[in-house]
Amino acid sequence: MPFSFLAPIFLAGLAALAIPVAVHLIQKERKDAVRFPSLMFLSQVPYKSTRRRRIRNWLLFALRSAAVFLLVAAFSRPLFDRELDAASPLATAREVVILVDRSFSMGYAGRWERATGAANAAIDGLSGDDRATIIFFDGGATIANQPTGDHARLRSALAGVEPGSDVTRYGPGLKLAQGILETSDKPRREIVLISDFQRAGWDGGEGVRLPARTTINPINVSAGETEDLAVGNVAFRREETNERERVTTTARVVNTGIDPVNGVAVALELNGRELETKRVDVAANDAATVVFSPFTLSEDNMRGAVRLAPDRLTADDAFHFVLSRGQAVSVLIADGGTSRGSLYLERALGISDRPEYRVEVKRAESVRGADFAGRAVVIWADATVPPGETGRRLREFVENGGGLLLIAGQRSNWDALTDLVPGTVGRVTDRADPGGSLGYIDYSHPAFEVFRAPRSGDLSAARFFRYRPVEVDATGEVRARFDDGQPALIEKSVGQGRVLVWTSTMDNYWSDMPLQPVFLPLAHQLVRHAGGFAEASPWFSVGQVVDVAGAAVATVDSAAARPAAAGRDRIAIAPGGDRVEVPTGLLRLEERGFYEVRGNTRGERILAVNVDLAESELAMMDPQDVVAAVQPREDGGPALATAMQIPAEDRERQQHLWWYLLVVTFIILATETALSNRLSRRRTAR
Amino acid sequence: MRVSHHHQGTVPGAAFVDPQVLSRIDNLELVARFVVDGFINGLHKSPYLGLSLDFAEHRAYMPGDDIRRIDWRLYARTDRYYVKEYEADTNANFIVLLDISKSMDFGMKGLRKLDYARFLAASLVYFSNQQRDRVGLMTFDNDLVDYVPCSAKHLNVVLHTIDRVQPERPGALGRALHTIAGTLNRRGVLVLISDFYEPVDAVLDAVKPLRYRGNDVVVFHVLDPAEIEFPYEEAGNFEDLETGERIPIVPATQRAKYTELVLGHVAQLGKRFANDQIDYSMFDTATPLDYALFQYLSNRLRLQKAR
Repeated sequence: MPFSFLAPIFLAGLAALAIPVAVHLIQKERKDAVRFPSLMFLSQVPYKSTRRRRIRNWLLFALRSAAVFLLVAAFSRPLFDRELDAASPLATAREVVILVDRSFSMGYAGRWERATGAANAAIDGLSGDDRATIIFFDGGATIANQPTGDHARLRSALAGVEPGSDVTRYGPGLKLAQGILETSDKPRREIVLISDFQRAGWDGGEGVRLPARTTINPINVSAGETEDLAVGNVAFRREETNERERVTTTARVVNTGIDPVNGVAVALELNGRELETKRVDVAANDAATVVFSPFTLSEDNMRGAVRLAPDRLTADDAFHFVLSRGQAVSVLIADGGTSRGSLYLERALGISDRPEYRVEVKRAESVRGADFAGRAVVIWADATVPPGETGRRLREFVENGGGLLLIAGQRSNWDALTDLVPGTVGRVTDRADPGGSLGYIDYSHPAFEVFRAPRSGDLSAARFFRYRPVEVDATGEVRARFDDGQPALIEKSVGQGRVLVWTSTMDNYWSDMPLQPVFLPLAHQLVRHAGGFAEASPWFSVGQVVDVAGAAVATVDSAAARPAAAGRDRIAIAPGGDRVEVPTGLLRLEERGFYEVRGNTRGERILAVNVDLAESELAMMDPQDVVAAVQPREDGGPALATAMQIPAEDRERQQHLWWYLLVVTFIILATETALSNRLSRRRTAR
Repeated sequence: MRVSHHHQGTVPGAAFVDPQVLSRIDNLELVARFVVDGFINGLHKSPYLGLSLDFAEHRAYMPGDDIRRIDWRLYARTDRYYVKEYEADTNANFIVLLDISKSMDFGMKGLRKLDYARFLAASLVYFSNQQRDRVGLMTFDNDLVDYVPCSAKHLNVVLHTIDRVQPERPGALGRALHTIAGTLNRRGVLVLISDFYEPVDAVLDAVKPLRYRGNDVVVFHVLDPAEIEFPYEEAGNFEDLETGERIPIVPATQRAKYTELVLGHVAQLGKRFANDQIDYSMFDTATPLDYALFQYLSNRLRLQKAR
């Protein structure tokens, strides 16, 4: 049986064997002479100088040498290189990762209880050197505990956890498990995957590759039930009558079961008050639409919900939304003199209800500082900005978050706004027939993003005959250029607002742009972007990350009303009551219901969050598909092969021969003590 | 009576006292009395008490006394038990010749040979005095050191002298005993106590002249057990107590030969003394003193019978 040492350096201690040899070989010599009555006889005995060659007390010598040898051997931590007993605790020690699905579909009647039962059974199955980690996964994954063999700790990690609101994604959980198993030193690795195995949670591209010899033990807690009613979607139609905004709500009720459901009660709630309940029949594996009577939207941030009577899966029985009154974007157009300069723009902005643009056109020279109050966007179209008060107030307006769209033209003179204009405006460039066109467009810019997809508008069709060249300085960014390289659209951020410079006119004199189909959306996009407007979504889905500080706000307040950026105090109150700090403005939505965002620069904001209806699709997949997809590549080999590759440290720990050696050493030393005492006594007695 | 030669012998009625115990008693007379009285009282059938038939005195009967020695006529007159005691060899001289040379100043385990010899001498002197002998003492090393003339009243002087002897010089039997032999003018019993570290012939030459005037010579050879068994383990230099000479010794290799030489010496002495009709006994200092007295008396008896 091969034999080796874990710490062979200690074998150097075998040199200590010389000590008993020396002790036994070298006779002790008295320093002082022995006084003896007479040397009469001693002098007659021949003196032999063999004293260093003879070992006295062979038994003692053997005991002492053995003690030294065994002690040194024990410190060197010997181990047999034999194959480990496959049944030994070390060889069978497991690194177990218990993956528990906590997506909201696990809230389906009975599933969660079965899941926790299965997890507890897996914990009970841990023995000896086994170690386990519990990972809860849904859209993401969370490690609930450090790897441990402590059953109580594992149980406490499991206790108190309930299904969440997120969807099932096997990838993150399996990835985490892969990481844990890859770093494990245990010979056996095992994943206990407890889930209802929804097909929607697996797309096959997870890229999980478990370490070799990992066994996956899928535990399906679903009984194959698919019966579920869910509110699939809610749509709103707004109508303005008598300056009151009325909203008609249409809800879609989905039946994923194999039996039709008749007379389903569907209720519409607003601010916690039930407005109307309707009954609907939904065919098997079908959907039905419920249209509620219109209600008046009397205030902003109204919380609404469409509810079904609770069924076996309650998470998708309510659909939350937040509605605010339609927000008009107030636009002031300072015209240079001819009405043609802003006519197309005014008309284009007038054709919109989402958002509605409230456009006021004034002659540029009559514009006063007070006119900027309450405006979201000011358009200075082919006109001179008067120096003095107007220019100063305009600068303040922009710095406080307002949008300024400067449209160049024959009469443009922006000398009063030198610090707002991103460059130096040159004299008019006259392009001969057939004129220039837009050569470069930054389609990633919000103003052009809508034209990005094919067939969504050809900006290059527009002809530009004249424009003002601008020598752009470092503060400006060119978003579009003409085909001769001159900038067409320049953007500059000033304070909290932004300035856009369009270097040609928006009439049909310097270009035919206003006659192009793309003009209307372009005008809308430019104004929306200048004003920083983004339409608020009535709801979000769990798992979405929302910029609660940025553009995705429900309201466009007047620029002047915007306070300075805060952010540090921004918090969100989750539906469950938890406070979530949102210093970056990015909030991950994890619960269904209503989030309240406070401390925002734009006031309190309500976010309605619904579960992802993909999770309501309860169709199952075969658990073996998951197992097959993440199975290690190599065949793994028999379990004994695992044991043979156990690190020497572990094998030594299992054999702990050193312990036996120390015990034997102790016994030998005790014997040696008793024996040497006896010999010493006998010698003294003589 | 048969006397065992073993230390833990089978002498009936005798409770031998360890010399180590005696060594703790300061008073030499007390030691002697302790040894001798205990020894005598323990002998229920002692044939040795009163070797002559000369009546000395009556004394009250004591338990342990031989009832045959009760004077029945006196009992008839007085109604009390009395024992008749006799003078043994009245006025015989009993002289102890005690070797106090430096070689006697050795004892591996506390009790020196000299101490043992002193106890032995004191006990013998006391015992003899009890028998109305005239007791005397001569101590010697390489010459005569102390001399206490024989007298029936010198017991205390002898004991005192024995008590204060000190080993100071190397010994030389020939010269010392020659001097002693010259001083003896009346026959008696001579008890010679020595360790006899001299060649057998030299010893015999020194001792034999002591017998010339018809003296009974009893020789006690006293040795320490270490001198016989040589139990040393560690090698080293051994120093002669008398000459100061040192030689390197490895006990393990030299023990056997040494023991052989010593025992051979003792055997030679025993044989040669026997040839010259001199009582010889060898004691090691672990031998109980009363056992030594037994030895002495049994030898005396045997010799008397032989004569």
